[in-house]
Amino acid sequence: MLQADNLFKSYRRHADAVKVLQGLNLAVADGEFLSIVGASGSGKSTLLHLLGTLDAPDAGAISLDGRRIDDLRGRDRDELRNKTFGFIFQFYHLLPELSALDNVLMPAYIAHSTAGWWRARRQWRRRAQELLERVGLGHRVRHKPRELSGGEMQRAAVARALLSRPRVLLADEPTGNLDTDTGGEIVRLLRELNRDDGVTVVMVTHNLEIAAVTDRVVRMSHGRVAEDGPDSFRPRLMTAV
Amino acid sequence: MYKLLLCLKYLRTRYLAFVCIVSVMLGVATLIVVNGVMSGFSTKLKDRLHGLISDVNVETERADGFAEMPQAMAARIAASPAGQSVEAVSPTVEVFALFQFHVRTRNQEIVPITKHVRLIGVDPVRHAKVGRFAEYLVRQKNAAAPNFELSREARERLERNQLFNWDQPAAEVRPTPPGQPRPGDFLQTTGIEVPDQPPALVPPPVVPLADPPRVTGVIVGYSIAHTRYKDPKTGENLEIELLKPGDDVFIATVGANGTKPVSGTCVVADYFRSEMSEYDSSFVYMPLDELQRMRGMDGRVNALQVKLKGDLADDGRFVHEKLIPELQSLFPPSEARVVSWQQHQGPLLAAIDIERGILNLLLFMIVGVAGFSVLAIFTMIVSEKFRDIGVLKSLGASNRGVMGIFLSYGLLLAVIGSALGTGVGLAITENINEIEGWLTRRTGQQIFDRSVYYFDKIPTNVEPLAVTLINVGAVGTAVLFSVLPAWRAARLHPVRALRFE
Repeated sequence: MLQADNLFKSYRRHADAVKVLQGLNLAVADGEFLSIVGASGSGKSTLLHLLGTLDAPDAGAISLDGRRIDDLRGRDRDELRNKTFGFIFQFYHLLPELSALDNVLMPAYIAHSTAGWWRARRQWRRRAQELLERVGLGHRVRHKPRELSGGEMQRAAVARALLSRPRVLLADEPTGNLDTDTGGEIVRLLRELNRDDGVTVVMVTHNLEIAAVTDRVVRMSHGRVAEDGPDSFRPRLMTAV
Repeated sequence: MYKLLLCLKYLRTRYLAFVCIVSVMLGVATLIVVNGVMSGFSTKLKDRLHGLISDVNVETERADGFAEMPQAMAARIAASPAGQSVEAVSPTVEVFALFQFHVRTRNQEIVPITKHVRLIGVDPVRHAKVGRFAEYLVRQKNAAAPNFELSREARERLERNQLFNWDQPAAEVRPTPPGQPRPGDFLQTTGIEVPDQPPALVPPPVVPLADPPRVTGVIVGYSIAHTRYKDPKTGENLEIELLKPGDDVFIATVGANGTKPVSGTCVVADYFRSEMSEYDSSFVYMPLDELQRMRGMDGRVNALQVKLKGDLADDGRFVHEKLIPELQSLFPPSEARVVSWQQHQGPLLAAIDIERGILNLLLFMIVGVAGFSVLAIFTMIVSEKFRDIGVLKSLGASNRGVMGIFLSYGLLLAVIGSALGTGVGLAITENINEIEGWLTRRTGQQIFDRSVYYFDKIPTNVEPLAVTLINVGAVGTAVLFSVLPAWRAARLHPVRALRFE
């Protein structure tokens, strides 16, 4: 279980401190597909970054299976990002110099030394190839990001996030830069991964229609969870959709 | 693995990085060429200097020479522990002297030319054993037993010179001032009659060559006997022979006792050409016994040149810490000073090393400029890669790993630049004379003026150690200058990097 307890986070902008999270509590069960919605500036992305150890809270704690992960340093934190969490970003963030295959393989490149990579390269390549085929990019393996469409780049990013078999996928508005159909494809892909592979998915989105297909929707407001759970929120959500 | 992969990818895709490679390449190539040429000059100079001075010199400041006879000194050296290291000893007398000869101008005017020279009395055979004396002789080059004898041509010229005035109108011959020695004076002392005024229209008498008169031959520095000038019409360097073998010269110096001047007239027997302008324009060798007699030294000398066995002279520690103290202990310090050839030429050799060091320091600034280009370009690349750095960190790349990407990239660029620079530098050094010739032909301006240096070619000497140090320095500098942008990349916060617009 991924749990955030009483999280506080503020950013300093010039002389002012902008309070982004103000005592946020959240628990994500294993295998859950959770979406976080809320107005811009409500702290959705910040929460995602804190959950994924990309940033540290000012106060509060984040734990994974009861073990605190918000104060990890160095190798432990890097290993957690590399093996336990998979990140998907709104703007895909594929490395432009690398092919789709190399982009997908990047977590494995990071995990291994040159010699270690040389020994394990076949199995990693096979897995990357399988993932690319699974996301429908089997024919685009050697293509550079600039040669892919937005949807294809995001699918490659999903494949990259899945390479290390992470327990938790953290998706920051994965459909935000895509048209409705392509965005729907990506969400269906995430749903499928969640259902078939048991991957926990935490997705930040503005799109209520997309949020509606997840197991649980959390609405954030002013740095706190304003509404949480299918029971209270989903009926109104479905109405909105 | 990702560091290597990204380094290679950046190398292939960031064309800006080629500026870094070219900068490092130019720096390394320039340093190798300049070092090669400087080392060539330095090596040639040291070679020449060592060729003129034997490994170790025992010398005295006394005008009348050592109190002890040279044979006794040589015997003491041979009997001492240092004697085992000694191969040959050559006693010499070295003094400054005035050297005068006459030349005929285009207007048929006879003008005297006077130079101050370093007059060295040597036994040519023994002297050839302690240095490269024989190698630098022009007519007797590399002769096993060089001497001061006149060649047949020189003797014929000497005889023609004795009859020189037969070819001149009597009115044009300058009378020799009273008391001043004239050409032929020395010959007069040896019994050969030289007429004051040649009788008009009387053919010169034939002197039988089978019974040559005794003359004192001297070996004259090549630049004393020759002068160079550039033909204003053709631009070519022309050489005029002022003194030919067989020409007589007047030499004056101080006697061994007091300051009384002594003089004599000798005949040019050969030239001495070391390709060292300073020596070729000031050295005059004459027979040791003649100089001793002229100066009244009674068989004494003021220097002993000592040649060491094998490669002992190259062992600086042995020579300076063991041999020289041993030799010095044989003679009172007030009487004799023992110095190695390096100590003898200390200021000059030190000046060469200082010059080379300063030049290297200045030229290394080119590598410094290359370093700054690495800094500037890497800073740009890191700024351009902010988001990618954020992505890598979100995928588990460590700060050290991110730093390693850019340090490895800097190292890779520096290694490629250094390798190319070494290739270009060595190629230029190897073909520097061809390049100089081509540039001279293209520009009409002679880059390497052979009238200044007596070398026919630009000397080069590539030292592997220098090339290695240049490469290490260039690579080290480039890596050092990539540390700051790499550190900046490593310190980048992943969230800030991902949000970077």
